[in-house]
Amino acid sequence: MALADYKYKDVIHRCFRCGYCKFPSNWMEVNNCPAYARFRLESYSTGGRLWLIRAWLNDEIEWTDHLAQIVYSCAACKNCVEQCPYRFHDDIVDMIIAARSEMVERGSIPSVVKEFLENIQRQGNPYGNARSKRGEWVEGMGIKQYEGQEYLYYVGCVGSYDTRAKETARTLGEVLLKAGVSFGVMGNDENCDGNEVSKLGEESLFQSLAEDNIQQFKDLGVEKIVALSPHSYNAIKNDYPMFNGSFEVFHYTQLLRDLIKGGRLDISSGFDARVTYHDPCFLGRWNKEYEAPRQVLNAIPGVELVEMERSREGALCCGGGGGNFYTDFLGGSEDSPARIRIREACATGASIVATACPNCMTMLEDAVKAEGLEESIKVKDISEIVAEACLAKRAD
Amino acid sequence: MDIVVAIKQVPDTSEAVDVVEIDASGRDINKEALVSKINDWDEYALEEAVQLKQKLGGTVTAVTVGASEWDDILRRALAMGADRAIRIDEDAASMDSNTVAKILTAVIIHLPYDLVIFGAQSEDFGSGQLGCMVAEMLDIPHATLVVSLQMDEGEVRVSRELEGGALELYTLKLPALLTIQTGINRPRYVSFASIKKAREKELKVISLNELGLSRDALTPLVILEKLELTPTGKKAELISGSAEETAGKLAMILNDSGVI
Repeated sequence: MALADYKYKDVIHRCFRCGYCKFPSNWMEVNNCPAYARFRLESYSTGGRLWLIRAWLNDEIEWTDHLAQIVYSCAACKNCVEQCPYRFHDDIVDMIIAARSEMVERGSIPSVVKEFLENIQRQGNPYGNARSKRGEWVEGMGIKQYEGQEYLYYVGCVGSYDTRAKETARTLGEVLLKAGVSFGVMGNDENCDGNEVSKLGEESLFQSLAEDNIQQFKDLGVEKIVALSPHSYNAIKNDYPMFNGSFEVFHYTQLLRDLIKGGRLDISSGFDARVTYHDPCFLGRWNKEYEAPRQVLNAIPGVELVEMERSREGALCCGGGGGNFYTDFLGGSEDSPARIRIREACATGASIVATACPNCMTMLEDAVKAEGLEESIKVKDISEIVAEACLAKRAD
Repeated sequence: MDIVVAIKQVPDTSEAVDVVEIDASGRDINKEALVSKINDWDEYALEEAVQLKQKLGGTVTAVTVGASEWDDILRRALAMGADRAIRIDEDAASMDSNTVAKILTAVIIHLPYDLVIFGAQSEDFGSGQLGCMVAEMLDIPHATLVVSLQMDEGEVRVSRELEGGALELYTLKLPALLTIQTGINRPRYVSFASIKKAREKELKVISLNELGLSRDALTPLVILEKLELTPTGKKAELISGSAEETAGKLAMILNDSGVI
């Protein structure tokens, strides 16, 4: 593709390098772009990356591994979209994704990204784990296969296969059972939602995944979907309609909030802790849902909710988006965004950092270990906090 | 510059260690639960062929002996940049290398070729024989385990990989046959869209009869009698020393066993 064929050719040159894309909404730090935080080089900020993309499409620079790594280091967190002063600010992450699409078409992508995509093509998950093991997390729980219940509980790849995230999937399942919600899961028939595939620029694979999923959902008569992961929530809610797949999609924190309000969950046992909440990018900036998770936490007796320096639309991304929880372009340093975020969480004095996303969960858990802060702070999913608050009161 | 690449399809067993079991015949694994993919070595072979074509012009033809499911790898080859593909419609699963070699030779002998390229071995049976056999049957020189190659007037210069990182350098007169070692290049990613687009390219299916061969007349020289899984043993080794020493010893054990 020459620059002339690039979808955003009329605007990509207009970035005048103000640098706002690196700042959070409260201007308190300069490292709110996760890739920039990691490398502290202009190439890794959105502005710098766009300049390099333009130079590449214009044949001023050649494709190299390094260029591909820079282009793929963006975690698609949308901090830049939030901060950029230009009229086209809504498109800037899409501009990076369009460049990735060009690399995909040429076949020139980093090896880890190739692995990620090929694993999804073959086994329906980026890890390349056997399809026949996807539904194993349900073992021994009494959760049924989806056969027309009110909700389809859609778990996603990370929740189905990652050791720590599987616990989250199970705990949410327990909570939903306890609340008497009518739901079922797809087990081994569940396939990747494709959100990361789309952010990595493999549009045709994303379309194929979306269309297959939509057909499966329709064949099963699915109308309402509750998603564990904000990534799945984002893809099914915002992207599936363009392939004729319209469903009522909820992120699980929205459902829990409604269940608590409606008195269907007895959380009176409470949870005594100072908790800080980490906004996941695909729930927060991508879908503007900042309140439901906080409403759930605030409803639990004993929870003292404190905010980090950067929260809501200014939250620092954990660095797990855009496939980075697997490709790990932003890892390996104390400047890795997840580690910065954990230090920020500790600074609030909280003993718990609450997550609402299995990707954030795995990134932050690893960061706690890398920082050696296991004694100071624990990472808990909101579903796990709610589950503890539902436990029958012990006789003292 | 005309290149013929022979490829095969294998079951993907990389993440399915505990799903692998011997099938009812006792001479193959149960493939129902397994996904299929192109043989790893063949992917490198294809990439090398396509890169040569892109540099020097010419054609790349992908060839395989297999049942209809094997069209997948041919489409993949076309998507990577091969110009045409040929499948000899026979289930190669129960054939010995000699039989497959005879069939491939019967096809290749009618194609224009400067280079015939094979993967060094296959992921499933790993015999590593096919390329050498076809070279002998075609009566052309060959080199195996090629890790780099360079074309010149009427000849190809190759490096062969030996133990311990040593390399042998050879010059072969064309036409020649090469078997390719992994790591020679970085195979390109094949997008879903490009596989769909590859349907526009020619994929020819031919039968043994059309080659003047018959399955009955192709007597195998090697017969596989039995396939067994390695028995899982219980072996525990206690490593002693300080934390650093034990970590070091463990790292060496893991490295030597090929785990890391």
